[in-house]
Amino acid sequence: MKPLKPLLPLYALLVIGLPLAGLGYALLGSVGVVGPLAEGFTGRYWQALAHDTGLLYAAAFSLWIAVASVGISVVLALALVLRAQPSLRRTPLPGLLYVPLVMPALVMAFYLFQLLSRAGWLSRISFQLGLTGSIEAFPELVQDAAGVGIILAHVLLTFPFLTLLFQAIYQESRLAELSQLTSTLGASAGQFRRRIAAPLLLRRAAPTVLLSFIATLGAYDIPLLLGRPYPQMLSVFIATKLQRFDLRELPAAYLAGFLVAAGLLGLILVLLRLVNRGKVEAG
Amino acid sequence: MKISFLYLPALALLAACNSGEQAKTPAQTLAQTWPQVEAAGKGQPVSMLMWMGDPLINKYMSTYVKPELQRRYGIDLQLAASQGAQLVQTLAAEQQANQPSEADLVWINGETFYQLRQVNALLGPFVDKLPNARLLDLENPFINTDFQQPIAGMEAPWGNVQFNFIYDSARVAAPPKSFGELPAFVKAHPGQFTIPNEFTGMTLLKSWMIALSGDPKLFQGKFDEAVYKKWSGELWKTINQSKPYFWKQGKTFPEQLAPLHQLFANGEVAFTFSNNDAEVDNKINQKVFPATARAYVPLPGTIQNSHYLGVVRGAQHPEAALLVINFLLSPEAQLKKMDPDVWGDHTVLNLAALTPAQRQQFQQLPSRRYAPKRENIQGLALMEPDPEYMTRLFKDFRTQVLEK
Amino acid sequence: MRSRLLIFFLVILFALPFGLLGLLAVGEGWRFPDALPPAYSLEPLRGLIAADNGLLAGLGQSLLLAGAVAVLATAGGFVVARAVARSRRPGRWTALSYLPYALPPVLLAVLIQPFIIRMHLSGSVGGVLLGLLLVALPFATLLLSSFWTQRATEYEQLASTLGCTPRQALRWVLLPLAAPLLRTTLVQTFLLGWFDFGLTNVLSVGKVRTLTVQVFTYVGEANGPLAAVASLLLLLPPALLLLANKSALLRKP
Repeated sequence: MKPLKPLLPLYALLVIGLPLAGLGYALLGSVGVVGPLAEGFTGRYWQALAHDTGLLYAAAFSLWIAVASVGISVVLALALVLRAQPSLRRTPLPGLLYVPLVMPALVMAFYLFQLLSRAGWLSRISFQLGLTGSIEAFPELVQDAAGVGIILAHVLLTFPFLTLLFQAIYQESRLAELSQLTSTLGASAGQFRRRIAAPLLLRRAAPTVLLSFIATLGAYDIPLLLGRPYPQMLSVFIATKLQRFDLRELPAAYLAGFLVAAGLLGLILVLLRLVNRGKVEAG
Repeated sequence: MKISFLYLPALALLAACNSGEQAKTPAQTLAQTWPQVEAAGKGQPVSMLMWMGDPLINKYMSTYVKPELQRRYGIDLQLAASQGAQLVQTLAAEQQANQPSEADLVWINGETFYQLRQVNALLGPFVDKLPNARLLDLENPFINTDFQQPIAGMEAPWGNVQFNFIYDSARVAAPPKSFGELPAFVKAHPGQFTIPNEFTGMTLLKSWMIALSGDPKLFQGKFDEAVYKKWSGELWKTINQSKPYFWKQGKTFPEQLAPLHQLFANGEVAFTFSNNDAEVDNKINQKVFPATARAYVPLPGTIQNSHYLGVVRGAQHPEAALLVINFLLSPEAQLKKMDPDVWGDHTVLNLAALTPAQRQQFQQLPSRRYAPKRENIQGLALMEPDPEYMTRLFKDFRTQVLEK
Repeated sequence: MRSRLLIFFLVILFALPFGLLGLLAVGEGWRFPDALPPAYSLEPLRGLIAADNGLLAGLGQSLLLAGAVAVLATAGGFVVARAVARSRRPGRWTALSYLPYALPPVLLAVLIQPFIIRMHLSGSVGGVLLGLLLVALPFATLLLSSFWTQRATEYEQLASTLGCTPRQALRWVLLPLAAPLLRTTLVQTFLLGWFDFGLTNVLSVGKVRTLTVQVFTYVGEANGPLAAVASLLLLLPPALLLLANKSALLRKP
């Protein structure tokens, strides 16, 4: 194969150029220079940001969802890999864990809504069993204030994947052998898990965990179906602002889009550090 | 294994950029006679942007209108979902880029019409060109004025509807007869009332606000900041006082109408709403609502409005779009649409202009059973106020009620 | 015992979606408080073959779109990863490849939409494809960059020393070496396109009605049975992939 000279610049143009151009357009839109009703430069929307708590609230809510979802998933996955090694190797389990990987987020959200809403399947079954006497007696599990439904959906999608990932690292790093070694040296199983295995798994999986975290921060399909109109997650917040009745809200929407993208870019820089650190350690 | 994979999108772009043919200017399009329009429109595809949130409406379009157009004119009608600001944004961006539009025909009213005119994205005036326009009831202020804006031939009326409450007569014996009685009812029946945070819900808020003011004339003409401030303030006060007795203690509200219909069907709430006075029939027929569901208009009345069809200024097939609109205004298509088994959308035709046989068909639709009679609610019809009232209510409902 | 319990629990957890979606698909007039549908109807399933129903068309469109994304991104990623490995500062290019992760697909779609419109790609499969490639191509590049190590280059040189043309070297040496990784990349990028809803919905202006878009429409109409049928169709191809090649489903960047 000959080296292809223009290939990398072209790649950069497509992969970086287009999103950056979009970011620039959003920036211009937020100061009223471009857009359907643009009236020329104005700092109005940036100033209004100080009074508008909506974006901040959406960011805080997204952060909560992402921390809770990824946190619970990591804990579950670690627990499975460190405490249920024998079961993880038995036939049905590894295959089972792959099942959520084939579920689109939208389907997961639809399914959970049908299952958990107050008029959903569980509520109907509990009504038939006499556990609840009315629709209102069933607890609010989706479209709830704390985002329990959204978190549950993300955990169901993320924890099996992380379990498989941790398991792969566990085997690659020969942690089973290491465990035997440490036990002959007198360490307890708990000490091995806490001091050696868990830190190693977490460090090696850190980039992937952070990627899951970023993906959850920007989630759209799941909060769209399982969330409330308030508080909203970031992607839903921005898309709603862009698509609703008032065209004059567009600059504010562009501003929100710009700020969110800038914030996530910052997180990606952290990710790159993690990746590079991993490379230095490995190399 | 060549770079061609990477260049492919770029090539596609180049190819696409060179494809536009020399199209007619809007003035040239409108200068054509009807036979010329017919000749130019036949056999073309038409792309229509519409709200696609109702299965019956979607079914009317795809199983009746689409095949009929194919049969009559060889027109291939393509339906796509888009509405409101998203639609305006798309058309405005296309116009800024100075290129033909992906859309030919749009289903609009109110603020969308207003904004599309603001960015000059509509072709027209065209209504006079349509042969079926002479059948339209254009003397009717509820039809010739769209949210206080004269339609001025820039959009053709398609249907006319009035906002109404729907309740289950088996569960609620005496629903509140007026907006005035509503708060007491809500308090006496906690958890049974909510407001959808979308188009229909906004019509509810507008009707409620006008009821509170006691003077519908205040809301005629251009948007009046003082009037809005005063009466929206009263509205938020009234709603927030009742909010603890709303569904889920008023801590959240449904984002769409269909989920509210579901809550109603499951018996979670006592009321749902519709912008369409005949919807109760069509939902009972579909077995979505229990057969005991009934609809009524609370005193002192609710908003009646029309919805319209517009042609996109940059349309690639404007003539075909005109043919589609003309067909949609035909007595045949209007009658079919008015049948609650099909859609239940009230006609915009002037019945006096029809033949006696046609008139009788319109007056004696057997399937309109539980919806209030049109004669009985026409006196309770309020005009749509300026679109600004709705955009402001939508925004303030969020800050004053949802986020509180 | 504990292990059995765990397995039992997971089976319930992951088999339940299929059961409930199946019931919804064939249940008629199923409302609270019935624990099971009062009547069953194959109407929504029969609707699959009805001409006016877009489900099968959506299935085709989704397959085509996701297939195109997979092939283009994998092939592109293979070449780009090679170029990156041989560039003077591979670290910098790898860093660039992470940038699209910063943007949630919906946000990305919103940001690039003005340009997609200017390129006459709005509302077309091409526009959605381009948008998806913006995410899938860097993803594939990152996945495949682990292939282009010193060793792969040495093999390539060895092949050419032994008289292989570049084409032959590719066909007989490089592709077989890369096959497992290429398979994984194909599957991963396919799923990326297959699962997407937000980006497709924004860029297609509602016109490219893939299965995910249809699921959302039916959910919006509160049309449970059709939403369930569309969901099941959406689960079908990935489930087949799962049966065929489990390991390819696990992505390890």
